[in-house]
Amino acid sequence: MDEEQVITVRVYRYDPASDKAGRLEEHKVASAAPLSVMALLARVHELDATFCCRTATCFKGRCGSCLVRADGRDVFGCTTLVRPGETVTVEPHSRFAVIRDVVVDFERPLAAGTEAAE
Amino acid sequence: MSGAAKYEADVLVVGAGGAGLRAALAAAEAGASVILANKGPVARSGVTLTAAGGLQAVLHPDDSPELYYEDIVRCGYGLADGDLARTLAAEAADRVRETERYGARLMRDAAGGYALGQFPGMARPRNVFVKGGGIGLAAALAAACRRQGNIRVVEDFFVTGLVKGGGAVAGAAGLDLKGGAPALLAAGATVLATGGCQWLWATNDCPAGTTGDGIVYAYRAGAELVDMEMVLFYPSVIVWPPSLAGAFVHYEFLAPDVLDGNVYDRAGKPVLPKPLPRRDEAMLFLARAIREGRGGPHGGLLWYVGDSPQAAANASRLNTLQYDYIRAHGVEPATDRIEVAPGAHYLLGGVHVDADGRTSVPGLFAAPECAGNFDGANRLAGNGLTATQVFGARAGLAARRWAAGSGARPDEAAVRAEFDRLAARLGGKGGTDVAALRNRLRAAAQEGAGVGRDAAGLGRLAQVAAEVRAEAAAARVPAAGVFNQQLVDVLELESMAEAAALVAGCALARTETRGHHVREDFPARDDANWLRHTTARRTADGPAFGSKPVRP
Repeated sequence: MDEEQVITVRVYRYDPASDKAGRLEEHKVASAAPLSVMALLARVHELDATFCCRTATCFKGRCGSCLVRADGRDVFGCTTLVRPGETVTVEPHSRFAVIRDVVVDFERPLAAGTEAAE
Repeated sequence: MSGAAKYEADVLVVGAGGAGLRAALAAAEAGASVILANKGPVARSGVTLTAAGGLQAVLHPDDSPELYYEDIVRCGYGLADGDLARTLAAEAADRVRETERYGARLMRDAAGGYALGQFPGMARPRNVFVKGGGIGLAAALAAACRRQGNIRVVEDFFVTGLVKGGGAVAGAAGLDLKGGAPALLAAGATVLATGGCQWLWATNDCPAGTTGDGIVYAYRAGAELVDMEMVLFYPSVIVWPPSLAGAFVHYEFLAPDVLDGNVYDRAGKPVLPKPLPRRDEAMLFLARAIREGRGGPHGGLLWYVGDSPQAAANASRLNTLQYDYIRAHGVEPATDRIEVAPGAHYLLGGVHVDADGRTSVPGLFAAPECAGNFDGANRLAGNGLTATQVFGARAGLAARRWAAGSGARPDEAAVRAEFDRLAARLGGKGGTDVAALRNRLRAAAQEGAGVGRDAAGLGRLAQVAAEVRAEAAAARVPAAGVFNQQLVDVLELESMAEAAALVAGCALARTETRGHHVREDFPARDDANWLRHTTARRTADGPAFGSKPVRP
C-alpha cells in the first residue's frame, strides 16, 4: 500500500476476562482522505470484528458517545481528524472505567483526571 | 444460559430516545415501576440526538388544532390515520410546554413568548426549537428519568426479542453488554420505542443503531406493520468526504432568501430549478440526475452556495453546531462544494398503533418512530420530535393501565426458547464477514428501494434480503464475554435483512406513487385504490402483505 494512502491506527485492546493489562495493536486503514478517529475505529472493527468500539454519533460533535483518548489526549473521536500517512494511538477515555478495548462505561466515571475532554 | 439475571417491573420501555424517555416518565408518574432499557448509552446514542430540535405545536394565537391536523393530512398525502393526526394536533401544545417541566428549554422571542417559525406546509407559525437541539431534549428527559425513583435505567442492554406469557407480551430478553450475560426483563406491559431502520439504506443521516430491531421484534411477535415502504428521504445527505458521510447540509438553505445556492452536476450544471421545488420533488431531481450518471466521483452531486451574494449576507445561518461539525472535518460549507445525495432520514411506517400506542398484540405498545401511520407518505418538519412526546406519553400511560390489570408473566418455555436462540448463536469462530453482508444489503436497499423504485429493483432487494438473512442466521460468533459487539452486529444484521424484506414487499404491493414512495413503473397517484395502508404480518410461510383502510 502507498504509505500516503494509509492511516496507521494503534488501538488499545483489553478483555477483562483474559487480560491483566491492556496492550496496543496496530492496524492499517486504507484511505485517500482524512478520517475522524471515530470513523477509523469503525473501520478497524470492520477489519477485525473482535475489536470493540462505539459507533453511534449525533453528527454535531456534542453527544460524547465517541469520547476516547487519542495520542494521549482525551478527545471527541468524531471531530478529531487523522490524515493519510499519519499514525494515531487510540485508548479509552481517561475519565471513565473501561468495559472492553476502547469502550467505556459512562455510568462509571473515574475520579477527576488531569484533563477534561476538549 | 440457565441462571440468567431477571429484572421485574410493571412496565418495560425499550429504547431511550425522545419517545422512550417520555413513555417511562408517564408510566412512572402514574405509579408504575419501570425498566428503561437502551442498547447504547442513554442520551449518547439514538436518533433523537440528530434532530435539529424543532417541535411543532399549536402555540400561535391564530393557529388551531384543526389547522395543524389539516396540514398533517395534506402533507402526508392522505395516508395519516385521522384519529392519530387529530390526537397529535390536539395534544402537541401541552406536551411541548411540558418538556420545560422536565428541564428542556424552548427558544423564546424578545417579548418572552415562544419563538415560532413557519416552515413549508405549515398554515401558521408552529415550530419552536428546543435549546441544544435533539441532544438538549434527550439530555433533559434522561436526567428527569434518572431523578424518578420508579425508573430503573439499564443502558448498554441489547434486547434480542420479546417474550410472551399467556398470549400477551410480558417483557423481553436480551444481553447485558456491560456484564456480558443474558437477562430477562419481565413486565406486565412493554413499550417499544426503538426508532426506525434507516441504516438499511447505504445513504442515510442517522446513527448506526437504526437497524429496525424493535419493529422486527414486534412483527415476530405477531404485530401488524403498516406502510413499511414509506421512508422519508432527505435530499442533501453528505456522501463525501468519508468522515462526514451521514451528516447533511440543509436543502432549505438553497432558497433564494436564505443562501441562494443550488446543487450542481459534475459538469457544473445546476440540477434544481428555481424557485426551489418542495423537498420531496427535489429529491427526485437529484436521484434522477445521479441515475443519469451526472454525479461526481463518489456518486453524489455538489451542494454549493459559494458564488451567491445572498450566502455572504446570510453566512450566520451556517454558524450552528451542525456546520461547526462539518468545519471540524476540514470542509467550509460557505465556500466548498459538498458532495450530497438523497438519503434515508425518517421511517414513516412501522408498527400499527391506535392513539394509545396499542399494537395488535396484547401487552405490546409502540411509540414513534417505530410506530407508524400518523404522518402518512410525507411528514411536516418538526413533527418527528412532537410525535415522540405526544405518543410516548400516551403509550406510557396506556401501558401502565394495561399492566395494572394484566398480571402477565413470561412463560418459562418462551424465555427458555429466546435464551436458547441466543445461545445457539455463540460458540463459533466468527468466520462470517458480517460487514460485507451488511454492505451488500445496504447497497441493494439504496439501489432497489431508494428514491425511485420499480418492480425489478424491489425484487432484487427481496432476493438479497433473503440471502443475507440466511447467512446471518447461520453465523456463529465467539462467546466473547463483556460487550459482545460481534453478537450485536449479527443480530442487528438479521433484523435489517428481515426489515428489508418487509420494505420490499410493501413497496411492491403499493402500485402507485405517493409522497416519498415513487414507483417509476407506476408514476401516478391512485386514490381510487391506494388511499390505504399497506400491511405486513408474519405467518408460518413468511410475511403476508395486504392493505387496509386509513382510519378516519
